[in-house]
Amino acid sequence: MRTFCFRKSSCVRVILSAAAAIMQIGILTLVPDAALAHGERNQEPFLRMRTAHFYDVKWSTNEIPVNGEIVVTGKFRLFPIWPVNLPLPEAAFLGNGTPGPVLARTESYINGVPAIQSTKLELNRDYEFKTVLKGRVPGHHHVHPMINVMGAGPLLGPGNWLTVTGNESDFKLPIKTLSGETIDNLETWGLGRVFFWHGLWVAIAIVWLVWWLRRPLLLPRFRALTEKGGDRSQLVTSTDRLFGAGLLVATILIVFFGFQATDTAYPRTVPLQGSRATVEPLPEVPEQVKVVVNKSNYDVPGRSLRMNVTLTNSGSTSAQLGEFLTSNQRFINHEVSQAMATVDPNYPKELLPPNGLKVSDSRPLKPGETKTVDIEAADAAWETERLSSLINDPDNTLGGLLFFYDEHGKRTISNVSGPMVPVFTDPDNRTAENPKGGPG
Amino acid sequence: MQGGTSVRLYGLEWLKESARISKVFDLLVAAILFLAVSGAFHLHYMLTAGDWDMWIDWKDRQWWVTLTPIMAITFPAALQYVFWTKFRLPIAATFAVVCLLFGQWINRYFGFHLWSYFPMSEVIPALLIPGALVLDVALLLTGNCLFTAMSGAFAFALLFYPANWFWLAPYRLPVEVMGQLVSVGDYISYAFTRTALPEYIRLIERGTLRTFGGHSAIIASFFSAFVSILMYLAWWHIGMLLARVVTTPNTLKNFMGLTDKDEPAETAQKAIDGTSLQGRFAAVE
Ligand SMILES: [Cu+2]
Repeated sequence: MRTFCFRKSSCVRVILSAAAAIMQIGILTLVPDAALAHGERNQEPFLRMRTAHFYDVKWSTNEIPVNGEIVVTGKFRLFPIWPVNLPLPEAAFLGNGTPGPVLARTESYINGVPAIQSTKLELNRDYEFKTVLKGRVPGHHHVHPMINVMGAGPLLGPGNWLTVTGNESDFKLPIKTLSGETIDNLETWGLGRVFFWHGLWVAIAIVWLVWWLRRPLLLPRFRALTEKGGDRSQLVTSTDRLFGAGLLVATILIVFFGFQATDTAYPRTVPLQGSRATVEPLPEVPEQVKVVVNKSNYDVPGRSLRMNVTLTNSGSTSAQLGEFLTSNQRFINHEVSQAMATVDPNYPKELLPPNGLKVSDSRPLKPGETKTVDIEAADAAWETERLSSLINDPDNTLGGLLFFYDEHGKRTISNVSGPMVPVFTDPDNRTAENPKGGPG
Repeated sequence: MQGGTSVRLYGLEWLKESARISKVFDLLVAAILFLAVSGAFHLHYMLTAGDWDMWIDWKDRQWWVTLTPIMAITFPAALQYVFWTKFRLPIAATFAVVCLLFGQWINRYFGFHLWSYFPMSEVIPALLIPGALVLDVALLLTGNCLFTAMSGAFAFALLFYPANWFWLAPYRLPVEVMGQLVSVGDYISYAFTRTALPEYIRLIERGTLRTFGGHSAIIASFFSAFVSILMYLAWWHIGMLLARVVTTPNTLKNFMGLTDKDEPAETAQKAIDGTSLQGRFAAVE
């Protein structure tokens, strides 16, 4: 029903339909979600930087015909420095951020556990997910993996453009029931019974309404009730009462026998299933590199985040800083080939800032070594993704993940978090319009 | 009765021309009322029981069955007061729920299905007509709001679940999905995803009501029926309040030195001073 981006028309269309849907959705859903209805970039930066970090996300393909399948896989970590104003993920659901059900979700798993029910998740732990999507509505759709957290709303993963080709009318989602029925397509299943039953009762209702409405109505009846000489016995006659009584009996009989017939036709039914799934997080991997943020600035005119960090390698292999991930933006250190190799060709380009991550000293940390380095993530994405509005947030602590690689290419992940101090002016006269600086 | 120029309606004499105009007036009011009740009742109903009514995986045996009749008996009760006491028409409940159903089908088909891609099987509205018919006939036969509440409003809620089961049952067949047992309705809503309405948001029966061998719909129906009696009476009286025509004398006119011809200036002056509240409000029943 909603989407979280404004980039192309299919997403815009859904924003419009979300506006329409707000009129339709009950108050229960309206209240917690209304604040998030205007796109992923409108989610506050602290929400995007310090909740669910998605990584290793892969799409098996990004173009399918109607009824074709896309498998989305990846991992996510729930950041330990969770915003204080958000409830903990006591109930979470692996969602699918799409502009309406343009793809049908046929399967989804968190760590191999079916994700048809909600589950509790733990902070500072990693989870693997898999979602199988089936093409349904032709078009170009922006689709995100996401985690819905009760009270915190949707937490979005990276969005990718998926193309569905063919004819919508060819779509089918068949299933066999445990009681033996074969359902050709869930989209239309049961509708014959719905139309028959609704139609029947509307017809009976119309008979009842017409029975009364065919007579002179408002003023004549009002006068007959209020003025001397009005004949009330003509307003409601004994035939009317008899007809009403007959209708009453017929209604009760139709409902009763309809209910009986339904029970005979479908003797085995189950109530809605509302249990909670139990999902164990992936085994805990100790942080090989401890990260302490000494200072961090966001340079407003230069659109760059600069951090001075002290790194301590407590492992037995070397560690080289390859990537800084925050808000689904992957700042990759171009000097580290293992990090560059992790970029999937299907990965959305807009989530890979071209300048990547600049590290003052990219040499690997030896086991036991401690080193203080400056890192810089400079990109217009800070503005276009509205991450720089962190300076307007009541909670301006930033967060993200740092990916380190050892000499064998093995990866370890460290959390990084610290307060962010904005720098509004700088000695080189750089501005947002003139990021290179020089005489203005 | 003078041959061609007049006609008798319910014992009173009408000019033929007046009777004709009155018929046109009936049609106009009916059309306006149909749209107004469709809109207002729909809005009220969506804000109070909307999610249960919209989604196939919210129509559970506890909350849906309890809340829907309680929230749906409101407009029928208020309109019954007006239709019955002013016009002796026992059709208000049926009229109201037909209006509601009309609004819902329009909204589900155009808004949810065509515009937002949801399959119709996911967004079918509940059916309230059988209960409404019984409510109307109860008023017709008893002619009294208290007896209607105790019989008709009670039946309005009790009939709700069995009357909907006819079309709902196919969506409660068991299926196996990823090695788990769920109902067809659960799977439909899982497959055709709602981005901002995750599973845990659902307010559905998650435990047991610990009696009647697990037939929670029966307990829910009876509970709903008792509350519906109270709800019916409350909204009958809301209908009564809203049907009062209250006028206030135009005091501005008096400030400008004008007075009604047939109203003594003294009374108008009292109204301005606020010394006579009775002079300020005249209720017309
Ligand atoms: Cu998007």
